[in-house]
Amino acid sequence: MDLTDRECIERCRDGHPEDFGRLVDRYQKPLFSWLAGRVKDGQQAEEAAQESFVRAFTSLKKLRKPESFYSWLLGIAGRVAKEQFRSEEHSRREREAAEAIAPDATSRDEDYQLEEAIAALPESHRQMILLRYYEGLSCQEVATRLGLPLGTVTKTLSRAYALLRQELAARENAESKINKPENYELR
Amino acid sequence: MNCAECRDNLVACAEGLLEREPLLELQAHLKTCADCAAEFRAVTNLQQRLVVRGQATAEVSIVGPVMRRVLQKKKEKESVMSKIFKYRWGFGLSAAAGAAAIILITFLVFPKTAATAAEVMARGAQAVAKLTSIHFRGELRTSPQDNFSYINADCSFCTIELWEQFEPDLKWRIEKPLRVAVMDGDSTTSLIKNGDVAAKIPKASINAFDSGWLQQIANLSNTITNELTNALAKGWKMNLTEGTGTNGRTEDIVTIEAKSGLPADDYLKNQFFETADTRRVYVFDDQTEKLESVKIYLHTDAGDILIFKLDQIDYNQPIDPSVWKLNLPADVSWYQNEMQKLPDNEKYASMTAEQATRAFFEACSQENWSEAEKFLRESPVDYLTKQYLGGLEIISIGTAFTSKAGPDQFVPYEIRLRPQEFYLRVSNDNPAKRYVITGVYDSKLQLLQELKWTNAPPILPDNDAYSKLSPAEAVRDYFAAQSRLDWDEMRKFTPEYDVESDQAEIGAARKEGLDVHKLIPSREVGDAFWSAEQSAWFVKYIETAGIKKMNLALGKDKPTGRWFVDGGW
Repeated sequence: MDLTDRECIERCRDGHPEDFGRLVDRYQKPLFSWLAGRVKDGQQAEEAAQESFVRAFTSLKKLRKPESFYSWLLGIAGRVAKEQFRSEEHSRREREAAEAIAPDATSRDEDYQLEEAIAALPESHRQMILLRYYEGLSCQEVATRLGLPLGTVTKTLSRAYALLRQELAARENAESKINKPENYELR
Repeated sequence: MNCAECRDNLVACAEGLLEREPLLELQAHLKTCADCAAEFRAVTNLQQRLVVRGQATAEVSIVGPVMRRVLQKKKEKESVMSKIFKYRWGFGLSAAAGAAAIILITFLVFPKTAATAAEVMARGAQAVAKLTSIHFRGELRTSPQDNFSYINADCSFCTIELWEQFEPDLKWRIEKPLRVAVMDGDSTTSLIKNGDVAAKIPKASINAFDSGWLQQIANLSNTITNELTNALAKGWKMNLTEGTGTNGRTEDIVTIEAKSGLPADDYLKNQFFETADTRRVYVFDDQTEKLESVKIYLHTDAGDILIFKLDQIDYNQPIDPSVWKLNLPADVSWYQNEMQKLPDNEKYASMTAEQATRAFFEACSQENWSEAEKFLRESPVDYLTKQYLGGLEIISIGTAFTSKAGPDQFVPYEIRLRPQEFYLRVSNDNPAKRYVITGVYDSKLQLLQELKWTNAPPILPDNDAYSKLSPAEAVRDYFAAQSRLDWDEMRKFTPEYDVESDQAEIGAARKEGLDVHKLIPSREVGDAFWSAEQSAWFVKYIETAGIKKMNLALGKDKPTGRWFVDGGW
């Protein structure tokens, strides 16, 4: 049975930490993808993703809007990525690597905007995008998994695309990209 | 169709879900309405970006490590549950703490038998918590030169061996008869021995070249984490029984029913370890609590088939430093493992999988190798491939399909390969004094494949009949045996691993439902000549391949957005 984000979080708070695994399973790929646009390599992205989930788990009680779990998680991940970057700056060897990455990270702004836009979607639409693209299910398989008619899946996807495009357009017009992680502060 | 109807159907169209009639109407509308056409492009562009992101993260799997840490955090808070748990098994925050934490989950969701199975595995991990090295030798049903994770129930067993040093720094080596990969602490190199081609990753990789599942077994802690996490997430069954080992000691036997989650008709089902439904049997010594053996059975329609057996495990034994050295042939070909952006990259990036397949085969047909390389991640095109695919004739290209196991697309194709001239080197310089095959050469007498006899050809019960054959007659008999798929007869002329390689190919073709006899090329054996230089006979033959009918696997290269040929040729 697929629990909603809110249900998973409520169960975790009620002493069922194993249900946090569902959230990790649900968001590990988009989170990794988002982090991959900000840190040095895949290994760092994976480390940062793990750390972000662990911090999210320990701070779960502070999350006021469980349905916004993913955008809240991106905020945490943004800080983890920054910390990772700063700690590297203290090491001469690593600083060189960091300098090499910095311009690249900026050039990939457009890349991680996609995950931020996904975070801004209503949960039902977000779930559809995650299942279709990050889990690699076909529309028919998404329909079976969610117990929905195929037509509802394509209509929801259609609406999700429209919302994503609006969100991406708004982000591309925004002046400051560098401070974007601050939009996702803990609430 | 008006604009509103068109917009309603754009996503269904982009997803390939429209029936022929509405599809034609929509296409007609798009030709006449610039706004809707722009909207369609925007939808497909976004869809493409999402597809690329999904594909790039297909391998990401951090549920296990995160949950281990999450549950460790809980444990550190000394909850009632963790106290009970600690008392019962006495795990501290040692190397086995992760496994212990996983068991906590197991208790929450599994029945008692499964939890006990988890306990045995966790004890096994604790028993080897301070592992400095591991070496094991097993047998896997696979093709000798194929990927390390390739399995095929139709193959004979092939030896597969792993050495892994955990301290002071991580190093590993994995080897099967025709493929070896070594991570020496600085870089990771793989060599395919029968083509003398190598690839190098200029860093120390935890696992690479498709070796992950073997290293998972080598690292018991990870095995437990992964097996239990998967069992938890996917509802795999776990069971514990008791047995008696050959040494008379009690054994704890943990059985895990692992499911790939792929439907029965999925193209990649049961082709690789990760895409297979398997029963994994871990046997632990009850006294030492160490893992003693592993057996893995493949679930097939014909019943369970043992595909992997591991019964020699050496813990903490010194490993000779020469193991970390890979001796490469002097003329090894290095693969470049990266695609470069092309000046006209967009032309290729906008191709469908079917178009890319056709373009690749057309380039091969024209022997335009610089063009063919645009569809390969590994370049340059090696000599063997040029010989094999050069001048081919395309018969048909089908419609692409996908597997749930990964992002690749598979395009059915039929091609006819051009007749080619080869030579077989044969020698009777062996105790049985009969001619056996020792090498394959091209028309220019360049060595294509060395066929090494690890053990000398045995003296057969009817050895006389074979020792009287001339070099050309021996080759003719070998080809006749091959056309009958008479494996025993083939073994009289060529080494065991070569026969196994053929068996693997035939097995794969059978899985495709192909008439395998039609796939075997016809060979016309010609004259033989003596080479004083090589002290061997060379027998000429012309090979006319039948029609090759397979599925070309294509992946999308993220940086360039182009399709690359990922297998199936």
